[in-house]
Amino acid sequence: MIEKLEDHKFLTRILNGINCGIVVIDKDINIHSWNGFMVSHSGLSEEQALGHCLFDLFEKIPRRWLTNKVQSVFMLKNFAFTSWEQRPYLFPFYHNRPATSIVDHMYQDCTFIPLFNQENNVEYVCITIQDVTDTAIYQILLQQTKEEIERQSKTDGLTQLYNRSHWEECLRREVSRVERYEGELTIIMMDLDHFKSINDRLGHLAGDEVIRESTRILRDCLRNSDIGGRYGGEEFGVILPETDIDGALVTAERIRQAIETSDIVFNNKAIKVTASLGIAMYDVAGISCDQLIDRADQALYQAKHAGRNCIRAFE
Amino acid sequence: MTTLELTEDQRDCLQELSNIAMGQAGDSLARFLEVFVHLSVPKIQIVQTSQVSSSLKNISEPGLPVIVVGQSFYNAQGQKSLHGEAIVIYSESGADTLSNFLGDDESKPETDESLMDISNILISVCLNGLAEQLDTRLSFSAPTMIGKGISCNDVFNSGKLSWDNALLIEINYTFESTEMSCNLVLIMPDESVEGIIAKVNEILDEF
Repeated sequence: MIEKLEDHKFLTRILNGINCGIVVIDKDINIHSWNGFMVSHSGLSEEQALGHCLFDLFEKIPRRWLTNKVQSVFMLKNFAFTSWEQRPYLFPFYHNRPATSIVDHMYQDCTFIPLFNQENNVEYVCITIQDVTDTAIYQILLQQTKEEIERQSKTDGLTQLYNRSHWEECLRREVSRVERYEGELTIIMMDLDHFKSINDRLGHLAGDEVIRESTRILRDCLRNSDIGGRYGGEEFGVILPETDIDGALVTAERIRQAIETSDIVFNNKAIKVTASLGIAMYDVAGISCDQLIDRADQALYQAKHAGRNCIRAFE
Repeated sequence: MTTLELTEDQRDCLQELSNIAMGQAGDSLARFLEVFVHLSVPKIQIVQTSQVSSSLKNISEPGLPVIVVGQSFYNAQGQKSLHGEAIVIYSESGADTLSNFLGDDESKPETDESLMDISNILISVCLNGLAEQLDTRLSFSAPTMIGKGISCNDVFNSGKLSWDNALLIEINYTFESTEMSCNLVLIMPDESVEGIIAKVNEILDEF
Protein backbone atom coordinates (compact mmCIF):
# COMPACT_ATOMS: atom_id res chain seq x y z
CA MET A 1 0.00 0.00 0.00
CA ILE A 2 1.27 3.42 -0.89
CA GLU A 3 1.49 5.90 1.93
CA LYS A 4 0.15 9.35 1.29
CA LEU A 5 2.90 11.89 1.28
CA GLU A 6 2.01 14.20 4.10
CA ASP A 7 5.44 14.55 5.62
CA HIS A 8 5.77 18.24 6.29
CA LYS A 9 9.44 18.17 5.26
CA PHE A 10 8.61 16.95 1.77
CA LEU A 11 5.73 19.34 1.29
CA THR A 12 8.03 22.21 2.23
CA ARG A 13 10.57 21.01 -0.30
CA ILE A 14 7.91 20.85 -2.98
CA LEU A 15 6.71 24.33 -2.03
CA ASN A 16 10.24 25.66 -2.29
CA GLY A 17 11.19 23.76 -5.41
CA ILE A 18 8.17 24.53 -7.55
CA ASN A 19 8.75 27.05 -10.33
CA CYS A 20 5.89 29.26 -9.29
CA GLY A 21 5.60 31.93 -6.62
CA ILE A 22 3.46 31.05 -3.61
CA VAL A 23 2.61 33.70 -1.03
CA VAL A 24 0.06 33.39 1.75
CA ILE A 25 -1.38 36.55 3.29
CA ASP A 26 -3.99 37.38 5.91
CA LYS A 27 -6.69 40.08 5.96
CA ASP A 28 -4.12 42.77 6.78
CA ILE A 29 -1.92 41.69 3.87
CA ASN A 30 0.74 40.33 6.24
CA ILE A 31 2.82 37.52 4.84
CA HIS A 32 2.45 34.01 6.29
CA SER A 33 4.20 31.97 3.64
CA TRP A 34 6.96 32.88 1.19
CA ASN A 35 8.30 30.10 -1.00
CA GLY A 36 11.64 29.54 -2.71
CA PHE A 37 10.54 31.13 -5.99
CA MET A 38 9.72 34.35 -4.11
CA VAL A 39 13.02 34.25 -2.21
CA SER A 40 15.12 33.87 -5.32
CA HIS A 41 13.29 36.50 -7.36
CA SER A 42 12.78 39.11 -4.66
CA GLY A 43 16.10 38.64 -2.86
CA LEU A 44 14.16 38.62 0.43
CA SER A 45 14.66 35.57 2.61
CA GLU A 46 11.77 33.82 4.32
CA GLU A 47 12.76 35.48 7.62
CA GLN A 48 12.79 38.90 5.99
CA ALA A 49 9.33 38.38 4.53
CA LEU A 50 7.28 36.45 7.10
CA GLY A 51 5.13 38.59 9.36
CA HIS A 52 5.68 41.72 7.29
CA CYS A 53 3.04 43.59 5.39
CA LEU A 54 3.42 43.09 1.65
CA PHE A 55 3.11 46.84 1.04
CA ASP A 56 6.04 47.61 3.34
CA LEU A 57 8.29 45.28 1.38
CA PHE A 58 7.05 46.29 -2.09
CA GLU A 59 6.09 49.93 -2.10
CA LYS A 60 5.21 49.94 -5.77
CA ILE A 61 2.37 47.44 -5.51
CA PRO A 62 -0.84 49.52 -5.81
CA ARG A 63 -2.20 49.36 -2.29
CA ARG A 64 -5.86 50.25 -2.80
CA TRP A 65 -6.26 47.98 -5.78
CA LEU A 66 -4.70 44.92 -4.15
CA THR A 67 -6.60 45.49 -0.91
CA ASN A 68 -9.90 45.52 -2.85
CA LYS A 69 -8.94 42.38 -4.68
CA VAL A 70 -7.96 40.48 -1.55
CA GLN A 71 -11.05 41.74 0.24
CA SER A 72 -13.25 40.26 -2.48
CA VAL A 73 -11.70 36.85 -1.84
CA PHE A 74 -12.28 37.08 1.92
CA MET A 75 -15.80 38.37 1.51
CA LEU A 76 -17.13 36.41 -1.47
CA LYS A 77 -14.99 33.30 -0.86
CA ASN A 78 -14.11 33.34 -4.53
CA PHE A 79 -10.97 32.98 -6.57
CA ALA A 80 -9.51 36.15 -8.08
CA PHE A 81 -7.09 36.59 -10.94
CA THR A 82 -4.74 38.99 -12.64
CA SER A 83 -3.58 38.51 -16.19
CA TRP A 84 -0.37 39.89 -17.70
CA GLU A 85 -2.38 41.22 -20.63
CA GLN A 86 -4.09 43.81 -18.45
CA ARG A 87 -1.60 44.09 -15.61
CA PRO A 88 1.89 42.97 -16.66
CA TYR A 89 3.01 42.02 -13.15
CA LEU A 90 2.15 42.09 -9.47
CA PHE A 91 5.69 41.74 -8.13
CA PRO A 92 8.39 43.84 -9.80
CA PHE A 93 10.74 40.97 -10.61
CA TYR A 94 13.50 40.77 -13.17
CA HIS A 95 13.10 37.90 -15.63
CA ASN A 96 15.78 35.30 -16.18
CA ARG A 97 16.41 35.82 -19.84
CA PRO A 98 19.00 38.58 -20.02
CA ALA A 99 20.41 37.16 -23.25
CA THR A 100 17.31 36.52 -25.27
CA SER A 101 14.63 38.81 -24.02
CA ILE A 102 13.18 42.04 -25.37
CA VAL A 103 11.43 42.98 -22.12
CA ASP A 104 12.74 44.32 -18.84
CA HIS A 105 10.58 42.61 -16.25
CA MET A 106 8.89 39.31 -15.54
CA TYR A 107 5.33 39.05 -16.84
CA GLN A 108 3.04 37.34 -14.35
CA ASP A 109 -0.34 35.66 -14.18
CA CYS A 110 -1.57 35.56 -10.60
CA THR A 111 -4.30 33.53 -8.92
CA PHE A 112 -5.77 34.40 -5.53
CA ILE A 113 -7.03 31.25 -3.78
CA PRO A 114 -9.23 31.36 -0.67
CA LEU A 115 -7.94 29.16 2.20
CA PHE A 116 -10.82 28.07 4.42
CA ASN A 117 -10.73 27.28 8.12
CA GLN A 118 -12.88 24.68 9.88
CA GLU A 119 -15.78 27.11 10.16
CA ASN A 120 -15.78 27.44 6.38
CA ASN A 121 -14.60 31.04 6.51
CA VAL A 122 -11.67 32.34 4.52
CA GLU A 123 -8.72 32.66 6.89
CA TYR A 124 -5.92 33.29 4.43
CA VAL A 125 -5.47 34.05 0.80
CA CYS A 126 -2.84 32.19 -1.20
CA ILE A 127 -1.41 34.09 -4.18
CA THR A 128 0.29 32.03 -6.87
CA ILE A 129 2.58 33.89 -9.25
CA GLN A 130 3.27 32.31 -12.61
CA ASP A 131 6.12 33.52 -14.78
CA VAL A 132 4.56 33.98 -18.24
CA THR A 133 7.35 36.08 -19.74
CA ASP A 134 7.80 33.61 -22.64
CA THR A 135 4.13 33.78 -23.58
CA ALA A 136 4.18 37.57 -23.30
CA ILE A 137 7.25 37.85 -25.53
CA TYR A 138 5.68 35.65 -28.22
CA GLN A 139 2.52 37.69 -28.04
CA ILE A 140 4.43 40.98 -28.26
CA LEU A 141 6.47 39.74 -31.24
CA LEU A 142 3.30 38.52 -32.93
CA GLN A 143 1.69 41.91 -32.39
CA GLN A 144 4.75 43.72 -33.80
CA THR A 145 4.73 41.42 -36.83
CA LYS A 146 1.05 42.10 -37.38
CA GLU A 147 1.67 45.84 -37.21
CA GLU A 148 4.59 45.57 -39.63
CA ILE A 149 2.53 43.55 -42.11
CA GLU A 150 -0.25 46.09 -41.82
CA ARG A 151 2.22 48.93 -42.43
CA GLN A 152 3.69 47.15 -45.44
CA SER A 153 0.28 46.49 -46.93
CA LYS A 154 -0.30 50.25 -46.97
CA THR A 155 3.11 51.29 -48.20
CA ASP A 156 4.73 51.52 -51.61
CA GLY A 157 8.08 49.74 -51.44
CA LEU A 158 10.16 52.09 -53.60
CA THR A 159 9.01 55.41 -52.13
CA GLN A 160 7.68 54.40 -48.70
CA LEU A 161 4.70 56.63 -49.50
CA TYR A 162 1.20 55.22 -49.09
CA ASN A 163 0.34 52.91 -51.97
CA ARG A 164 -2.57 53.63 -54.25
CA SER A 165 -5.20 51.58 -52.44
CA HIS A 166 -4.40 53.03 -49.04
CA TRP A 167 -4.14 56.56 -50.39
CA GLU A 168 -7.59 56.17 -51.97
CA GLU A 169 -8.84 54.82 -48.67
CA CYS A 170 -7.57 58.01 -46.98
CA LEU A 171 -9.26 60.11 -49.64
CA ARG A 172 -12.57 58.30 -49.12
CA ARG A 173 -12.30 59.08 -45.42
CA GLU A 174 -11.62 62.76 -46.11
CA VAL A 175 -14.49 62.98 -48.61
CA SER A 176 -16.95 61.55 -46.10
CA ARG A 177 -15.57 63.90 -43.46
CA VAL A 178 -16.32 67.03 -45.53
CA GLU A 179 -19.66 65.56 -46.56
CA ARG A 180 -20.65 65.23 -42.93
CA TYR A 181 -19.00 68.17 -41.21
CA GLU A 182 -18.38 70.49 -44.17
CA GLY A 183 -15.00 72.17 -44.55
CA GLU A 184 -12.59 72.20 -47.48
CA LEU A 185 -10.73 69.51 -49.33
CA THR A 186 -8.43 69.74 -52.33
CA ILE A 187 -6.27 67.18 -54.06
CA ILE A 188 -3.24 67.44 -56.34
CA MET A 189 -2.30 64.85 -58.95
CA MET A 190 1.32 65.13 -60.08
CA ASP A 191 3.05 63.41 -62.98
CA LEU A 192 6.77 63.55 -63.79
CA ASP A 193 7.33 64.89 -67.33
CA HIS A 194 8.84 62.61 -69.97
CA PHE A 195 9.58 59.96 -67.39
CA LYS A 196 9.48 57.18 -69.97
CA SER A 197 12.39 58.73 -71.84
CA ILE A 198 14.50 58.78 -68.62
CA ASN A 199 13.89 55.06 -68.28
CA ASP A 200 14.65 54.46 -71.94
CA ARG A 201 17.80 56.60 -72.09
CA LEU A 202 19.36 55.95 -68.67
CA GLY A 203 17.84 52.65 -67.55
CA HIS A 204 15.37 51.61 -64.92
CA LEU A 205 17.76 52.08 -62.01
CA ALA A 206 18.08 55.74 -62.97
CA GLY A 207 14.29 55.90 -63.24
CA ASP A 208 13.95 54.44 -59.74
CA GLU A 209 16.36 57.03 -58.39
CA VAL A 210 14.33 59.82 -60.01
CA ILE A 211 11.14 58.47 -58.41
CA ARG A 212 12.85 58.22 -55.01
CA GLU A 213 14.33 61.72 -55.18
CA SER A 214 11.08 63.27 -56.44
CA THR A 215 9.31 61.64 -53.49
CA ARG A 216 11.81 63.17 -51.08
CA ILE A 217 11.29 66.61 -52.63
CA LEU A 218 7.52 66.17 -52.59
CA ARG A 219 7.61 65.17 -48.91
CA ASP A 220 9.61 68.27 -47.99
CA CYS A 221 6.95 70.46 -49.59
CA LEU A 222 4.00 68.97 -47.66
CA ARG A 223 2.53 69.94 -44.32
CA ASN A 224 1.94 67.33 -41.61
CA SER A 225 -1.74 67.12 -42.39
CA ASP A 226 -1.21 66.56 -46.14
CA ILE A 227 -1.34 62.97 -47.29
CA GLY A 228 0.92 61.93 -50.15
CA GLY A 229 0.70 58.67 -52.05
CA ARG A 230 2.20 56.96 -55.07
CA TYR A 231 -0.73 56.65 -57.43
CA GLY A 232 0.96 54.83 -60.28
CA GLY A 233 4.37 54.56 -61.99
CA GLU A 234 5.40 58.21 -62.03
CA GLU A 235 2.11 59.65 -60.84
CA PHE A 236 1.62 60.93 -57.31
CA GLY A 237 -1.44 62.09 -55.40
CA VAL A 238 -1.64 64.54 -52.51
CA ILE A 239 -4.66 65.07 -50.26
CA LEU A 240 -4.82 68.56 -48.77
CA PRO A 241 -7.43 68.69 -46.00
CA GLU A 242 -8.83 72.09 -45.02
CA THR A 243 -7.29 73.71 -48.10
CA ASP A 244 -8.95 75.65 -50.91
CA ILE A 245 -7.76 76.09 -54.52
CA ASP A 246 -5.53 79.07 -53.66
CA GLY A 247 -3.84 77.17 -50.86
CA ALA A 248 -3.36 74.16 -53.10
CA LEU A 249 -1.88 76.38 -55.84
CA VAL A 250 0.75 77.62 -53.38
CA THR A 251 1.70 74.07 -52.38
CA ALA A 252 1.67 72.86 -55.98
CA GLU A 253 3.90 75.73 -57.12
CA ARG A 254 6.34 74.99 -54.29
CA ILE A 255 6.51 71.36 -55.43
CA ARG A 256 6.87 72.28 -59.11
CA GLN A 257 9.75 74.70 -58.41
CA ALA A 258 11.53 72.35 -56.01
CA ILE A 259 11.51 69.58 -58.59
CA GLU A 260 12.54 71.87 -61.45
CA THR A 261 15.51 73.30 -59.52
CA SER A 262 16.72 70.05 -58.01
CA ASP A 263 19.68 68.12 -59.30
CA ILE A 264 19.04 64.42 -59.20
CA VAL A 265 22.36 62.65 -59.57
CA PHE A 266 22.71 59.09 -60.80
CA ASN A 267 26.07 57.50 -61.68
CA ASN A 268 27.68 60.94 -61.47
CA LYS A 269 25.26 62.25 -64.02
CA ALA A 270 22.77 65.02 -63.21
CA ILE A 271 19.24 64.29 -64.40
CA LYS A 272 16.89 67.20 -64.99
CA VAL A 273 13.29 66.52 -64.11
CA THR A 274 10.10 68.58 -64.22
CA ALA A 275 6.56 67.80 -63.17
CA SER A 276 3.04 68.74 -64.23
CA LEU A 277 0.33 69.13 -61.63
CA GLY A 278 -3.47 69.16 -61.68
CA ILE A 279 -5.67 70.43 -58.84
CA ALA A 280 -9.32 69.72 -58.00
CA MET A 281 -11.38 70.84 -55.07
CA TYR A 282 -14.31 69.11 -53.43
CA ASP A 283 -16.78 71.91 -54.10
CA VAL A 284 -19.90 70.09 -55.28
CA ALA A 285 -21.69 68.16 -52.57
CA GLY A 286 -22.07 64.51 -53.41
CA ILE A 287 -19.22 64.02 -55.86
CA SER A 288 -17.42 60.77 -55.31
CA CYS A 289 -13.84 60.05 -54.55
CA ASP A 290 -13.34 58.71 -58.09
CA GLN A 291 -14.91 61.83 -59.61
CA LEU A 292 -12.59 64.04 -57.59
CA ILE A 293 -9.54 62.10 -58.79
CA ASP A 294 -10.87 62.25 -62.33
CA ARG A 295 -11.19 66.06 -62.14
CA ALA A 296 -7.64 66.43 -60.87
CA ASP A 297 -6.52 64.10 -63.67
CA GLN A 298 -8.30 66.28 -66.25
CA ALA A 299 -6.53 69.35 -64.85
CA LEU A 300 -3.25 67.43 -64.98
CA TYR A 301 -3.92 66.60 -68.65
CA GLN A 302 -4.46 70.31 -69.36
CA ALA A 303 -1.13 71.11 -67.68
CA LYS A 304 0.57 68.51 -69.88
CA HIS A 305 -1.18 69.94 -72.90
CA ALA A 306 -0.05 73.49 -71.99
CA GLY A 307 3.58 72.44 -72.33
CA ARG A 308 4.32 70.59 -69.05
CA ASN A 309 6.22 71.89 -65.97
CA CYS A 310 3.12 73.85 -64.95
CA ILE A 311 -0.04 73.69 -62.87
CA ARG A 312 -3.73 73.73 -63.83
CA ALA A 313 -6.82 73.70 -61.60
CA PHE A 314 -10.06 72.00 -62.63
CA GLU A 315 -12.76 74.52 -63.52
CA MET B 1 -25.77 9.48 -28.38
CA THR B 2 -28.01 9.30 -25.35
CA THR B 3 -30.49 12.01 -24.60
CA LEU B 4 -30.64 13.01 -20.98
CA GLU B 5 -33.79 14.41 -19.49
CA LEU B 6 -34.84 15.67 -16.09
CA THR B 7 -37.92 14.24 -14.38
CA GLU B 8 -40.33 16.76 -12.96
CA ASP B 9 -39.08 16.10 -9.42
CA GLN B 10 -35.47 16.48 -10.45
CA ARG B 11 -36.20 19.73 -12.23
CA ASP B 12 -38.13 21.16 -9.29
CA CYS B 13 -35.36 20.20 -6.90
CA LEU B 14 -32.61 21.69 -9.07
CA GLN B 15 -34.69 24.82 -9.59
CA GLU B 16 -35.19 25.20 -5.84
CA LEU B 17 -31.47 24.71 -5.12
CA SER B 18 -30.59 27.25 -7.80
CA ASN B 19 -33.10 29.76 -6.45
CA ILE B 20 -31.54 29.55 -2.98
CA ALA B 21 -28.06 29.87 -4.46
CA MET B 22 -29.01 32.94 -6.50
CA GLY B 23 -30.64 34.57 -3.50
CA GLN B 24 -27.39 34.25 -1.61
CA ALA B 25 -25.40 35.40 -4.62
CA GLY B 26 -27.51 38.56 -4.96
CA ASP B 27 -26.96 39.26 -1.30
CA SER B 28 -23.16 38.87 -1.51
CA LEU B 29 -23.02 41.03 -4.62
CA ALA B 30 -25.07 43.78 -3.04
CA ARG B 31 -22.77 43.86 -0.01
CA PHE B 32 -19.61 43.81 -2.07
CA LEU B 33 -20.59 46.23 -4.85
CA GLU B 34 -22.79 48.37 -2.61
CA VAL B 35 -25.56 48.39 -5.15
CA PHE B 36 -28.70 46.30 -5.21
CA VAL B 37 -28.40 43.49 -7.74
CA HIS B 38 -31.47 41.65 -8.88
CA LEU B 39 -30.93 38.11 -10.12
CA SER B 40 -33.62 36.52 -12.24
CA VAL B 41 -35.01 33.09 -11.45
CA PRO B 42 -32.53 30.76 -13.15
CA LYS B 43 -33.76 29.19 -16.34
CA ILE B 44 -32.71 25.56 -16.31
CA GLN B 45 -32.77 23.23 -19.28
CA ILE B 46 -30.95 20.29 -20.75
CA VAL B 47 -29.98 20.89 -24.36
CA GLN B 48 -28.42 18.87 -27.14
CA THR B 49 -25.48 20.24 -29.10
CA SER B 50 -27.63 21.26 -32.03
CA GLN B 51 -30.00 23.28 -29.85
CA VAL B 52 -27.52 25.36 -27.92
CA SER B 53 -27.47 28.32 -30.30
CA SER B 54 -31.24 28.50 -30.66
CA SER B 55 -31.71 28.08 -26.91
CA LEU B 56 -29.64 31.16 -26.33
CA LYS B 57 -31.06 33.12 -29.22
CA ASN B 58 -33.16 35.37 -27.03
CA ILE B 59 -30.33 36.36 -24.77
CA SER B 60 -29.46 39.47 -26.72
CA GLU B 61 -31.00 41.30 -29.62
CA PRO B 62 -29.89 39.65 -32.84
CA GLY B 63 -27.07 41.50 -34.56
CA LEU B 64 -26.39 43.68 -31.53
CA PRO B 65 -22.68 43.59 -30.73
CA VAL B 66 -21.83 42.12 -27.34
CA ILE B 67 -18.79 41.68 -25.11
CA VAL B 68 -18.31 38.15 -23.85
CA VAL B 69 -16.10 36.91 -21.02
CA GLY B 70 -15.70 33.21 -20.26
CA GLN B 71 -14.34 31.25 -17.34
CA SER B 72 -13.96 27.51 -16.74
CA PHE B 73 -14.76 25.90 -13.45
CA TYR B 74 -13.91 22.51 -11.98
CA ASN B 75 -15.02 20.46 -9.09
CA ALA B 76 -12.29 20.87 -6.49
CA GLN B 77 -13.15 17.54 -4.92
CA GLY B 78 -12.71 15.60 -8.11
CA GLN B 79 -16.33 14.53 -8.35
CA LYS B 80 -17.81 14.49 -11.77
CA SER B 81 -20.54 16.97 -11.08
CA LEU B 82 -20.26 20.67 -11.67
CA HIS B 83 -17.61 21.34 -14.20
CA GLY B 84 -18.03 23.39 -17.29
CA GLU B 85 -17.81 26.89 -18.65
CA ALA B 86 -19.46 30.08 -17.50
CA ILE B 87 -20.07 32.89 -19.95
CA VAL B 88 -21.10 36.45 -19.16
CA ILE B 89 -22.64 38.49 -21.96
CA TYR B 90 -22.65 42.29 -21.76
CA SER B 91 -23.92 44.95 -24.09
CA GLU B 92 -21.11 47.29 -25.13
CA SER B 93 -22.46 50.26 -23.16
CA GLY B 94 -23.26 48.06 -20.20
CA ALA B 95 -19.70 46.85 -19.93
CA ASP B 96 -18.50 50.41 -19.39
CA THR B 97 -21.10 51.14 -16.74
CA LEU B 98 -20.37 47.94 -14.88
CA SER B 99 -16.63 48.53 -14.79
CA ASN B 100 -17.34 51.59 -12.68
CA PHE B 101 -18.65 49.48 -9.85
CA LEU B 102 -15.20 48.28 -8.93
CA GLY B 103 -13.00 50.48 -6.84
CA ASP B 104 -12.98 54.23 -6.44
CA ASP B 105 -11.49 56.65 -8.94
CA GLU B 106 -8.00 56.38 -7.57
CA SER B 107 -7.72 52.63 -7.74
CA LYS B 108 -10.02 52.09 -10.69
CA PRO B 109 -8.41 49.57 -12.96
CA GLU B 110 -8.46 49.78 -16.71
CA THR B 111 -11.82 48.79 -18.23
CA ASP B 112 -10.76 45.39 -19.53
CA GLU B 113 -9.27 44.44 -16.21
CA SER B 114 -12.28 45.54 -14.22
CA LEU B 115 -14.56 43.73 -16.65
CA MET B 116 -12.58 40.53 -16.00
CA ASP B 117 -12.79 41.18 -12.27
CA ILE B 118 -16.51 41.81 -12.28
CA SER B 119 -17.14 38.78 -14.50
CA ASN B 120 -15.11 36.62 -12.14
CA ILE B 121 -17.19 37.89 -9.22
CA LEU B 122 -20.57 37.47 -10.96
CA ILE B 123 -19.64 33.96 -12.01
CA SER B 124 -18.12 32.78 -8.77
CA VAL B 125 -20.81 33.99 -6.40
CA CYS B 126 -23.43 32.10 -8.39
CA LEU B 127 -21.40 28.96 -8.84
CA ASN B 128 -20.12 28.90 -5.26
CA GLY B 129 -23.73 29.16 -4.12
CA LEU B 130 -24.76 26.33 -6.39
CA ALA B 131 -21.78 24.23 -5.30
CA GLU B 132 -22.65 24.80 -1.67
CA GLN B 133 -26.22 23.60 -2.28
CA LEU B 134 -24.82 20.52 -3.99
CA ASP B 135 -22.42 20.03 -1.11
CA THR B 136 -19.21 20.44 -3.02
CA ARG B 137 -16.56 23.07 -3.73
CA LEU B 138 -15.25 24.55 -6.99
CA SER B 139 -11.97 25.75 -8.45
CA PHE B 140 -11.77 28.29 -11.24
CA SER B 141 -9.36 29.13 -14.00
CA ALA B 142 -8.69 32.73 -14.99
CA PRO B 143 -11.41 34.51 -16.96
CA THR B 144 -10.66 35.20 -20.60
CA MET B 145 -12.02 37.72 -23.08
CA ILE B 146 -13.92 35.65 -25.64
CA GLY B 147 -14.76 38.57 -27.86
CA LYS B 148 -15.59 42.24 -28.12
CA GLY B 149 -18.11 43.63 -30.53
CA ILE B 150 -19.07 40.14 -31.66
CA SER B 151 -22.52 38.70 -32.22
CA CYS B 152 -23.92 36.39 -29.59
CA ASN B 153 -24.27 33.66 -32.20
CA ASP B 154 -20.51 33.62 -32.79
CA VAL B 155 -19.92 32.42 -29.25
CA PHE B 156 -21.46 28.99 -29.50
CA ASN B 157 -19.99 27.08 -32.34
CA SER B 158 -22.26 24.06 -32.38
CA GLY B 159 -20.38 22.46 -35.25
CA LYS B 160 -17.31 22.03 -33.10
CA LEU B 161 -18.75 21.24 -29.68
CA SER B 162 -17.59 17.94 -28.28
CA TRP B 163 -20.50 17.02 -26.03
CA ASP B 164 -23.98 15.59 -26.62
CA ASN B 165 -26.05 16.92 -23.74
CA ALA B 166 -25.45 19.86 -21.50
CA LEU B 167 -27.16 21.43 -18.57
CA LEU B 168 -27.76 25.05 -19.43
CA ILE B 169 -28.52 27.58 -16.71
CA GLU B 170 -29.29 31.19 -17.63
CA ILE B 171 -29.40 33.99 -15.12
CA ASN B 172 -30.04 37.66 -15.76
CA TYR B 173 -28.52 40.32 -13.51
CA THR B 174 -30.03 43.77 -13.22
CA PHE B 175 -28.14 46.50 -11.40
CA GLU B 176 -30.39 48.94 -9.63
CA SER B 177 -30.15 52.64 -10.55
CA THR B 178 -28.27 51.94 -13.78
CA GLU B 179 -30.83 50.08 -15.91
CA MET B 180 -27.82 47.94 -16.69
CA SER B 181 -28.20 44.23 -17.07
CA CYS B 182 -26.12 41.31 -18.22
CA ASN B 183 -26.57 37.60 -18.67
CA LEU B 184 -24.75 34.64 -17.20
CA VAL B 185 -24.86 31.32 -18.98
CA LEU B 186 -23.53 28.17 -17.33
CA ILE B 187 -22.86 25.21 -19.58
CA MET B 188 -22.10 21.88 -17.98
CA PRO B 189 -21.62 19.04 -20.44
CA ASP B 190 -22.31 15.27 -20.38
CA GLU B 191 -20.57 13.84 -17.29
CA SER B 192 -21.37 16.93 -15.33
CA VAL B 193 -25.09 16.55 -16.06
CA GLU B 194 -25.03 12.92 -14.92
CA GLY B 195 -23.18 13.93 -11.77
CA ILE B 196 -25.67 16.65 -10.97
CA ILE B 197 -28.63 14.36 -11.59
CA ALA B 198 -27.07 11.79 -9.23
CA LYS B 199 -26.60 14.45 -6.58
CA VAL B 200 -30.16 15.70 -7.01
CA ASN B 201 -31.41 12.10 -6.63
CA GLU B 202 -29.50 11.79 -3.35
CA ILE B 203 -31.17 14.92 -2.06
CA LEU B 204 -34.59 13.73 -3.23
CA ASP B 205 -34.05 10.37 -1.49
CA GLU B 206 -33.49 12.13 1.80
CA PHE B 207 -37.00 13.54 1.78
